[in-house]
Amino acid sequence: MRDLKHLIFFENLLQEANNDLVKQAKDDGKRCLGYTCYFMPEVLLDLPGCFGVRLRAPRSGSPDMATYYMSNRTCHYGRSLMERALEGGFNFLDAQMATETCTVTCRFQEHLQQKKIDSVSDMNIIQNPDFFCEFIDVPFKKNENSVEHYRKQLECHVLGKLKDNFGIDTSDEAMMKAIEEHNEVCRLITEIGNYRKLDVPTITGYEFQVIQLVSLVCPKYLILPYLRETAEEMKTRQADAKPNYRCKVVLAGAENDDPAFTQLIESCGALVVADRHCYGSLPGREEIVVAEGQSPLEAIARHYLETSYCPRFMPANDMRQRKKYLADIAKEYKADGMIVVSNKFCEYWSYERTIDAIVLPRDFGIPTCSIEKEYVNSASGQLRTRFQAFIESVEIKKIQGGAKK
Amino acid sequence: MKKFLKILGKILLIAGGIYAALFAVFFFDLDGKAIFHGVEPFLVKHYDKMERKDPLKAPYEMNKPHIDYGTK
Amino acid sequence: MKKFDLKKLKDIDYKKLAKDFWYGKPHGERRLGDLYCEKTGLYKHREWRGFKDTMYYFNMIWLYNYGSIVAEVLKSGGLEGLPLFVKGLWRYRWIGQAYLPVLHWFDRGLEGMRGETLRASAWHYNAMVGVSVQQILNMLKADANMHGGKHNDTWKHTIAHKETLWGGVFYPWSDKFQNVPMEMIPYFVTCHVNNHTVLNYIDAVQSIGLPGDPCPMCQAEAGLFVLDDMPDYAPFMVSTNEACDGSVASTVLQEWLWDKPLFAMPQPMQFDDPLVQEHCANEIRELWKFVEEQTGVAPNFDLMNKRLESQNELQRFEWEKWDVAANTNHYPINGVAQALYRIYQSQYGDNPIWHRTDKRVRKIMEKCVEQRIDTFPKTRHRVIAWSCAPLYYSNWCTWAYNCWGLNTIINMDSLMFNMTIRTDNLDNTVLDMARYHEWAPMRRMAVGGMHHIFELWEYMEKFHCDMVMMYDQLQCKGMQGVHGMFEDEFRARDIHAIWMPHALPDKRTVSRSEIRTIINDYMTTVMHEEPIDPSLLDFDDSQGW
Repeated sequence: MRDLKHLIFFENLLQEANNDLVKQAKDDGKRCLGYTCYFMPEVLLDLPGCFGVRLRAPRSGSPDMATYYMSNRTCHYGRSLMERALEGGFNFLDAQMATETCTVTCRFQEHLQQKKIDSVSDMNIIQNPDFFCEFIDVPFKKNENSVEHYRKQLECHVLGKLKDNFGIDTSDEAMMKAIEEHNEVCRLITEIGNYRKLDVPTITGYEFQVIQLVSLVCPKYLILPYLRETAEEMKTRQADAKPNYRCKVVLAGAENDDPAFTQLIESCGALVVADRHCYGSLPGREEIVVAEGQSPLEAIARHYLETSYCPRFMPANDMRQRKKYLADIAKEYKADGMIVVSNKFCEYWSYERTIDAIVLPRDFGIPTCSIEKEYVNSASGQLRTRFQAFIESVEIKKIQGGAKK
Repeated sequence: MKKFLKILGKILLIAGGIYAALFAVFFFDLDGKAIFHGVEPFLVKHYDKMERKDPLKAPYEMNKPHIDYGTK
Repeated sequence: MKKFDLKKLKDIDYKKLAKDFWYGKPHGERRLGDLYCEKTGLYKHREWRGFKDTMYYFNMIWLYNYGSIVAEVLKSGGLEGLPLFVKGLWRYRWIGQAYLPVLHWFDRGLEGMRGETLRASAWHYNAMVGVSVQQILNMLKADANMHGGKHNDTWKHTIAHKETLWGGVFYPWSDKFQNVPMEMIPYFVTCHVNNHTVLNYIDAVQSIGLPGDPCPMCQAEAGLFVLDDMPDYAPFMVSTNEACDGSVASTVLQEWLWDKPLFAMPQPMQFDDPLVQEHCANEIRELWKFVEEQTGVAPNFDLMNKRLESQNELQRFEWEKWDVAANTNHYPINGVAQALYRIYQSQYGDNPIWHRTDKRVRKIMEKCVEQRIDTFPKTRHRVIAWSCAPLYYSNWCTWAYNCWGLNTIINMDSLMFNMTIRTDNLDNTVLDMARYHEWAPMRRMAVGGMHHIFELWEYMEKFHCDMVMMYDQLQCKGMQGVHGMFEDEFRARDIHAIWMPHALPDKRTVSRSEIRTIINDYMTTVMHEEPIDPSLLDFDDSQGW
């Protein structure tokens, strides 16, 4: 396929958290707000006067200092963020908008927080005099009580703090403007992502992940022109005459902001056609709809709870619908199989992956490969062997299925 | 009376004997030893070969009700 | 044939022998480690504690508790109690394998204890056994597996919930319904009594593909269901997110394999935020509506208040105990009895057995204070134990006192739920119940707000402790995530802290013997101290319960 015009530019933006567009926005006088989780609504961090950056620790090595603080028995992602912060890599942040949505990222963010209590010394990790870290409490359910609770949390701990600390305009009008911009990003990403649904997709999983990631880690108003252009470019992009993949798969699972991991899967012969993981677009790039008479904040609160399929949700219907959602995606994107990945030490996805690997093949006939990985995948040889074996088995099944027909 | 005392004596003697035997069981940890070397291995063998439901065959119904009583 | 040496007989100090017979060998002279059979943890013979205490142990602990188990089975199960118990024992591994050696659990926890300490600590154990038997029988009476697959009336009148959900939320139905935590008896208590049993459940859940790194407690709790070792004793279940991500995640497996109507009752993570209280209180209200819908019975709030008042009474006595523990050396309860009783009682909720026990213990404690009895006379260091404790070695503190004079005064789990609940009006009550939930074990400190984890210093001062036993649960992400901060603080505050690595229920990760070695090494190389009982330094109990 023809190279995407901005792909190298996008790739470069992912080389460090404080990328060129972040620097540019800071130079424009905007406040930079870090976050790690979908439950910190990025749309609120993109209010006029500020912008959100979903934190990554690209090009991480061994997180030695973070391992002293968080031991080597916690999620590598959380530790890599901590290491990057200790190295000074997040000093560009004006605030960290934190969520206690999984234990280790919570602990990472607590380290950043100036607690100002006698019982423990503050570490002053982020060298920025204006910096603060504020937590919200995220509910575990989608009932009305939870929506209301979440709304109040966002109002007090996000909007309130942004207004008090940085004088950000948090009016309904400002929120509507942010929603509009956010929705355009979602529309474009969805439009680009939809090319993965074609019989012969015109975008690779790697390319799509790069595009999705830049939309999370760059100021929206600066990345939008490039996304628009890319969406336009996609309209005329042709697939190769002879596809170079052997099967199509859904990549599901825990935190994954590493396009090289997708590239690894694709180099083994599978095309990643859907990304249902943290930092992925499914779900995550649905437009926010503000109903008539509804306040924008309530719409946002409801949207983020209702669109999420995070394994944090405790009710039985949510647990079970998550599997259905995966199966639906596989069907919609014409995938031949599923790769479910959890990060080592991730409690949520360890269980979710286990049950997915049982239910998806058994009840939906979707071949499933279950993988545990690290944030930095130095053991790519082992992973490659696993993927190759899986792809081969899916291919054989396809051939056998075709022969039967 | 004599007979009664005799029976009482016998009862006391038997009770005393049982008490002494129990004390011996207690003091020499015979209860522990019996459980450790006899009862537990026997039961473990039984539990190990018990027929159990295969969890992987449990159905996974997708539609469960959404529970919300609207308290807020 | 060897000649009998009369001289040897002459050399015997008969006065000392008689004294040892009557009072037991004093701490410092006795060699408790010599009593063990190699590897098994069994005793060549049980300890001679002096005439009075040995007879007390035999009569009032060994005989009494065997007897009271039978009595409790009959009391809780009626005439069918005994056969039902036997049937249950045959069906469920955790009954037969875990609970038969229960008296050895007493032995381990009470080793070396004398006088009032022995008595008060043993009553705590007795209470835990009583409540456990009640729960076993409640489960078995309702269990469809025990009744040919039929759902009897007891099944319909039993509520199942995760063990980390405080049983008190079901007080409004306590006159008509029994609430039985799902894992408290099949998992939690078993680890203390017989640490082999739980390994089957951990292995079972890993056998279906779960990796080994999630919290082993949640693994075991899910493993019970995977191994089909959970009684079918209730029509619906209530889950919670306490203690951590693992509890939420493991419920996915439990809910699948039990397949009953589920109510999820979350407890907020940011519990210091005043905004979360109403949300949590509302979830309790939602739960009540769910229970009402499921049972068809309206909640009885007068009954709830009565039970709450009764529970408050337990809390008030706990405060009295803490006061004596903190400010005197007359506290008659050893570290393991204090910790287990407190966590069991406050988590499970009100029960007449706790009150009966507290009455007995109060009497003993008052005697100790009045007569100024030094209950742990060989104390060299007053220890506070922090973070989540190893379930398979909760009696390490008995060993540490006997071997090194490390007296565990209080531990983190005891300090949870540190409140009474208002009963003046329903709104206040529900708000307090919400707070009580938020202060549950492993939420208030280990996984919850960071501020509370570092309350350690405050409690160290309050309980006059000079040393910290810092539990290092290797698979607790919440505590591992603050490891370095604790290191920094220990250094900055010049506090002696021993890190005790463990894997909650799984002894295979760090054995009891390794734990002892770590403590021994610290005591010799850092503290430069000599053991009080050197026979306890190194022994092999690898196969022991």
